[in-house]
Formats: sequence, structure tokens, C-alpha cells
Amino acid sequence: MIEVNNLHKKFIDKKDKKNTVKALDGLSFTAKDGEITGMLGPNGAGKTTCLRTLYGLLSADEGDVTVDGIKVAENPIAARAKLGIFPDKFGLYERLTAYEQIDYFASIHGMTGASKKQAIEQVLKDLDMQELAHRKTVGFSQGQRMKVTLAQSLVHQPQNFVLDEPTRGLDVMSTRVLRNHLAKFKAKGHCILFSSHVMQEVAALCDRVIIVANGKLAAQGTPQELCDLAGEEHLEDAFVKLIGSDEGVAA
Amino acid sequence: MRSDLIQLKALVLKEYKEAFRDKRALMVALMFAFMAPIMIMVGSKIAIEKMVEQPPVYIKFTGAEYAPNLISHLADKNLLAFADTPTADKVIWDDRNLILNIPEDYARNMAQGKPIKVYLKADFNDKAAQTPIRRINNAVREFSLSIGYKRLQLRGVDVRLLNPVRLVEQDTAKPDATFIMISMTLGLYLMMAAFMSGLSVAIDSSAGERERNVLEMLLCQPVSTLKIVLAKLLGAATISVIGVVLVLILTSVSVSFIDLTKIGATFSLGVSTTIVLILLLLPICFFASAIQLFVAFQTKSFKEAQSTVGMIIGIPAFVPFVLFLMDDRPQWLDWMPIAGQSLIMEDIFKGVEVNWLAMLATSTVTIALTATLVFAVAKKLKSEKVVMALS
Repeated sequence: MIEVNNLHKKFIDKKDKKNTVKALDGLSFTAKDGEITGMLGPNGAGKTTCLRTLYGLLSADEGDVTVDGIKVAENPIAARAKLGIFPDKFGLYERLTAYEQIDYFASIHGMTGASKKQAIEQVLKDLDMQELAHRKTVGFSQGQRMKVTLAQSLVHQPQNFVLDEPTRGLDVMSTRVLRNHLAKFKAKGHCILFSSHVMQEVAALCDRVIIVANGKLAAQGTPQELCDLAGEEHLEDAFVKLIGSDEGVAA
Repeated sequence: MRSDLIQLKALVLKEYKEAFRDKRALMVALMFAFMAPIMIMVGSKIAIEKMVEQPPVYIKFTGAEYAPNLISHLADKNLLAFADTPTADKVIWDDRNLILNIPEDYARNMAQGKPIKVYLKADFNDKAAQTPIRRINNAVREFSLSIGYKRLQLRGVDVRLLNPVRLVEQDTAKPDATFIMISMTLGLYLMMAAFMSGLSVAIDSSAGERERNVLEMLLCQPVSTLKIVLAKLLGAATISVIGVVLVLILTSVSVSFIDLTKIGATFSLGVSTTIVLILLLLPICFFASAIQLFVAFQTKSFKEAQSTVGMIIGIPAFVPFVLFLMDDRPQWLDWMPIAGQSLIMEDIFKGVEVNWLAMLATSTVTIALTATLVFAVAKKLKSEKVVMALS
């Protein structure tokens, strides 16, 4: 379970004090176990800043984030151990094979020996990438890269799984693989938080949607609830309407 | 504790895999190690030729026809007439303008046993002319002495009477010290190898990874930045150590092809010397890699890292040079990294007993500075500034 409480974060330009960006302005939400929580927001709403605070890369000016009850700011390493992260920008170690790469991240999570091997085989099978496993990742297609990144973030079976716009640049097949995988994880009782711009995907996949605008929570609820709230038929229209209102409808 | 080791092992293993698989970068890095011995070999070959051989000297004779014996004696010593100069060298020897003036009355005075004055005209300040002048001087004196000895012998006088006191020179310099040039160059090359070999790996694993978007992923993992930095340091420093060892081995092998005995010198790196040298340079390899990582993480892009870190290469060449020029160097300089090691290397090559205390002191300071750099990088990787620079 991931809990975000009243996050504030300002980026201050040292040379020009007026040029201060308020990235997060009291954002709060909860992503529960056994649910897929979608985070929607326009560009610059503070999604990536929020996620980076959640990973412990940035420290909040005010408020805190807890992962399974562990405060990220106090014990980032213990909190990260509970997380599987699919970051905003992912690169691969191009001189390693896909297998070695997954193995690398598994070892960082403290896995060893037969159990590690088994976990890697399992994740390779789940993502249908046994053929790729022993090839060096240089020259992999976008979909293949996504699979490797997904595998390395899932190999340790994290209780909480955070994805930052995972479907960018993916074809339908890869998107389906990802979607199926997320559904499986949800069924096993894991907590999934993912940010996206693709409305259909969010509508199809998410149990709950939180809409972030100007560093604040603009609205939250099931896709249907959000549509009802905005009085629109499609989530896209509801989204535009909800972020457009200054106050936020249900914040 | 156990999981710490698992993590560290995985991190280090990955750095090694990446470093050793980047064949081209590795070749470039170790190129230096291959070049150093070749340059030492060629350099000392040229030096030996200069010292041993007597290249021809061309002299403008006037009145050569009056003293054919003297001319042929000079010719035996490879001191030839200007007329015989090969066309390619004509300008050089014309410019050096060595003129040997033999007087008209040479033959008559020789027959009468009167002293003869032969004049050598040259620019005695011209460095290039000094060796030829010395050789002409020696050759003429030899010729003169041989005639003088013969005259005395004809008169029944023991020639030894002419040399009542004779100076016998006993060289106390150790044989290792006679050929200083190889040793000094080798010292400089070793220092450069420590700095250059690990360079590309250090930049690639820091600024390179940041540029390839893999650093962020790693920073989000449950692993302390200190371990990440240590692994990267170990990766770069290992390549650097390999560079140093390669220079040592290849130099030992290549120098054995040169006949140093021609100039009465020997050069050999014994096993114990090699081990001391490696022990001495081990902290330097880590120190070099730590500086490179520190600077590379400080920069904003891969390109900037390459050019900035490239400048660090100047340090090892610069420091021994400054030390050489300083007459009264402060004591603390002996303990500083690079300076301390250079001085100890100098002692080792001169054959002087190694000052173990100095070695311990400089190694300790070097290791302490390396540790400081590592902690600084680890701390920096935790800061928001680095994270913000990621995107």
C-alpha cells in the first residue's frame, strides 16, 4: 500500500527567487493493495515529481510518503525494497544480455542461488521473452526494451509496483502483455500505481483514478464515478473538465 | 551483512562485465600500456647509438697535403674531409664550419722535431659542434703522443717516465643507476598509465550511464549510493592496475632486447622491485579513478566529462616535473599522492633502499583522500541536484 500525505515541493531557482516552481502543493492519495490505481494529469502537473519523491530521490518540503507503512524519507532503502519501479526514462545496459540485466536487479534486491534463478525463469516465461534472454540488449526494439525493464522491476515480486507512463511507444501486442501482467499482479493482491496519458487504457484497467493538477489532487474515484462527477460520458471529457476547474471538484 | 555482500558482488560483477565487454574502449585504454615500452625501447636505442658509435665528422682542412699521416689518422677515427660530405648533410657541416688549419712548414718542422701548431677554428659554444671538437682534440693528441713515444723509444727512454701519476677511476654508481633515462621515463609512464588506463571506464560508468538513463533506475533501487560508487571505483581502478602491470611486464621484456652492456648499463626489474612498484602504485590507481569519477559526476554531460577528465591526465606528468625543478621542497610534499610516489620510484630506480615509512605515509594519505572522494561522490548521488540533472 502506498500512502501519499499532503506533499509539498518547491523548486527554487537560486539566482532568481521569483522563478520558483511549485511542483507539488498538498497532494494526498492512497493506492490500496489489490487495486490498480491510475494517476492522470496534464504535463507538468507534478506526477513525475510525486513519483520521484515516492522513490526517495527527492525529499518533500512538507508531508510524507509511506510504502507499506515505511516512511520513505526516513528509510528510503527499506521502502525501495518494497517497490518495483518502472521509471519515466529507462535505459538498458547495452553490453549486458537481458538475462544478466534481470539477474543484476534481482541480486540488488538480495536474491541469490536457486530461488533467484527460478524467479528469473518465471518472469521470463510470464513476459514471453525466453528467446530474448541471452541476447545483448543493444538494438532491442522499444517493446523488447519495455519487457526487459518490466522484467527487472518485477523479478523480486514487489508488493508495490509503480509505473511511470509505461505504454509510451508500445505497440498493441506489447501493451496487452503489460496489461495482462498488471491484471495478474492485481489478482495476487499487489498494489499497482501507474501514471498515464492514455484515457482508454486508464478506463479499461484502473479500479481507481486520481487526477492531479497543479500539484494537487483534483478528483478521485472509479472511472465511472469521475464521469458521473463531471457529467460527461467519456473519461477524456471528464478529465478535461475536472482539471479545468480551479478549485477541483472533489478535492 | 550477507545481503550487503550479495549486492556489492552483483554491482561489481556488472561493472566488470561492462568494462571488459567494451572492447574498443578497453583497447584504447590499454594502448598506452603497449606504447610505453616501445617508446622506451626506441628512445634507449637512439641513446645507445649516440653514446657508442662515432658518426662521421666532416672537417674543412686547409693544407691537408702537408700532413698525409695526420689526415689518415683522423680518417681512421671517422673524422673526414669536408669534400667527402654526402650531399644531404652538406648544409649542416658547412654551417658547423669546423676548420683545421695545417701550416705549410708542417713537414719540415716534423722532420726537425720542432713543435708544430695546428689550428682548429670553430664555434666552441655551439652545442652540436662540441662532440666533434672533443673528438678532433683527442685524435690530434693521440697522434701527437704516438709520435712522441716513438721518438723517445728511439732514444732509449722508457715511455712510462712520462706518466708518473696516473688517475684510476672507480665508478661507485650502482649499475642500475647508470641508465637513469629508462628508469625515469618508466616512472613517468607508470604514473600516466595509472591515470589513463581506467579513464574511459570511469567516464563511461558515471557520466555515460547517466546519459543512457540507467543511473536513475539504479538510484531507485534499495542499495546505498556508497556501494554503487565503490563498485564503479573498483571497476575503473582494476583496469588502471592492469595498465600499470602491463607497462611493467612489457617494459621488462622489451628492454631485454636492447644490449645495454654496450654502454656499461644494466636494467632489470626483479620480482621484488616489481612487487614494490605495484604496491606503491595500487593506491594511486584507486586515487586516479576516484578523481575521475568525482569530476565526471560533477559535469553535466558525457562530452563535458570527457574533456574535463581529460585534463586530469596532465597531473601525473606535471607533478614530477615540478618536483624536479624544486630544490627545497617542503616536507609535506613527500606525503602527497603522486609526488610521494614519484619520489619513492626515483629511489627505487636509483637503487637506493626504499624508505618504507615514507611509502606507508604517502600510501595512507592517498588512500584517505580516495576515501574522501568516494564519500563525496556517494553523498552527491543522494542530492536532489543530481536527480534533477537526470532529466
